[in-house]
Amino acid sequence: MPAIRVSNLVKDYGRVHALRGLDLEVETGEVLGFLGPNGAGKTTTIRILLDLIRATSGTVEVLGADPRTAGPQLRARIGYLPGEPALPPTLTGREYLGYLASLRGAAPRLDELVARFGVELGRPIHTLSRGNKQKIALVQAFMHAPELYVLDEPTSGLDPLLQQEFRALVAEVATSDATVFLSSHVLAEVEQLTRRVAIVRSGRVVDVDDIASLRARAGQEVELSFASPIDPAVVDVDGVSDVEVDGTHVRLLLHGEPDQLLRAVAPHHVTRIRAEDRELESVFLDLYRENGS
Amino acid sequence: MIVAGVLRARRRSILWWSVAVAGVGVLYTLFFPMMQTMDTGAMLSSFPDSVTAALGWDALSSGAGYLHVTVYGLVGMAVLLACAIGAGARLIAGEEEAGLLELELAAPVSRTRVYLERLAVLAVSVAVPALALLVAVLVLDPVLGLEIPAVNLVAATAALWLFGVTIGLVAYAVGAVTGRRGVAMAAGAGLAVVSYFASWVGPLADLEWLARISPYWWYAGERPVANGADWAGMALLAALAAVAAGVGIAGFLRRDTAT
Repeated sequence: MPAIRVSNLVKDYGRVHALRGLDLEVETGEVLGFLGPNGAGKTTTIRILLDLIRATSGTVEVLGADPRTAGPQLRARIGYLPGEPALPPTLTGREYLGYLASLRGAAPRLDELVARFGVELGRPIHTLSRGNKQKIALVQAFMHAPELYVLDEPTSGLDPLLQQEFRALVAEVATSDATVFLSSHVLAEVEQLTRRVAIVRSGRVVDVDDIASLRARAGQEVELSFASPIDPAVVDVDGVSDVEVDGTHVRLLLHGEPDQLLRAVAPHHVTRIRAEDRELESVFLDLYRENGS
Repeated sequence: MIVAGVLRARRRSILWWSVAVAGVGVLYTLFFPMMQTMDTGAMLSSFPDSVTAALGWDALSSGAGYLHVTVYGLVGMAVLLACAIGAGARLIAGEEEAGLLELELAAPVSRTRVYLERLAVLAVSVAVPALALLVAVLVLDPVLGLEIPAVNLVAATAALWLFGVTIGLVAYAVGAVTGRRGVAMAAGAGLAVVSYFASWVGPLADLEWLARISPYWWYAGERPVANGADWAGMALLAALAAVAAGVGIAGFLRRDTAT
């Protein structure tokens, strides 16, 4: 039985169509990335799973139950991290986590997670940095050791060290048979966490793919600096496109392995190299460009 | 318990409202001995009798009449209503607009429970300032010789609390249905102002019925400080509160909540 099964999900806000027949299946025990640009319908889908909003039509099954009717019993089995978690400013982290734990009845992992993430418990939340607030939000999603984690943009606001700690935590719960469904608009954020991703665009899942092929499709932005001005023909190899040359400086787009490019530039004096994975939004921009022309 | 958690977050706010409401009660009550020594008759005679009667000024010379006109019927009540409307609009719509309802609604509690427990917080948020006022006037009553029976002060305070909760509940319910704090505040404040004016314009304009359908009249029309509990008026307030609560929960259970 899949942990999440969504079929033909439609959500209209008046004339705005947030979801236009979204289909999705998340297997029990897997970590699935839910990727798409902002406004594609990720948060809308997630909030329907939690029964915070109601679908216009379509069917939703979470852990075998309909969130619309299963109520508190179902939500007890889910850990939820909102995309932009808001925490009561005047309470301390201890007070708020204690409050949420009391609503859940038990939070066996609370103390361990607080220690692990170094959560600041004693100060009023309004005095905390964004990262410290995000830690509190993370802890409340994991503290009751649920069967299903629904995480909306989980690593935004966390510094790299904590992102690493968070990835380790997700890897742990995944090996213990829990299911993790996490959304992001940044490919790099999920690629170390998941093998499989569902790509959502304009309210539909347009593709379910594994990370490797997706990364190849997204490509990298590469910048190279040379000791002397360079002929654009040098970097004209397979997988390279959108070359911009400015004297000794080259910017280009690379799809696939960098091997050929590196061999081509190796005979020249390279003073600097920078390669960055493109945000997923660029993949869609590419798609629109291809469809448009 | 949602009640415990939400009350904890509101404890300072409740404390300050209590200080404000009780402070108004103390200040006005302290002025009573001075009022008695002043010749208010000359001032009052410049107004038509119907106006002085409608505003309750005819009874200013008694402790009960004075406290009714100043604290229970006007300033103390206004401050308590501001507290009730603010809390009512805040407890669902305001917190929702701030994103603070999200994790509570995602917890294993039903929306019905969220609604009812937060409603209980509203009742407590109005009760504590009302109790502070009651304690203040109970203490000052014998000291300053107001000669108001304690049972009347208890009855008037209970009615004031019920009136505050009812108006606050209208704001709460409108907030629960719409999810918008501004709309909820406008509904509560609008009802309070309209019902206040209806209850004294009604008698002045020979439109008694206008006063009779006013929640303010149900609360204060029979002057509970002077005359004790008005059970019929309190029953009408309770009925209005129940209707508002019912409409509010029906809308809240049905709709989408905001991020």
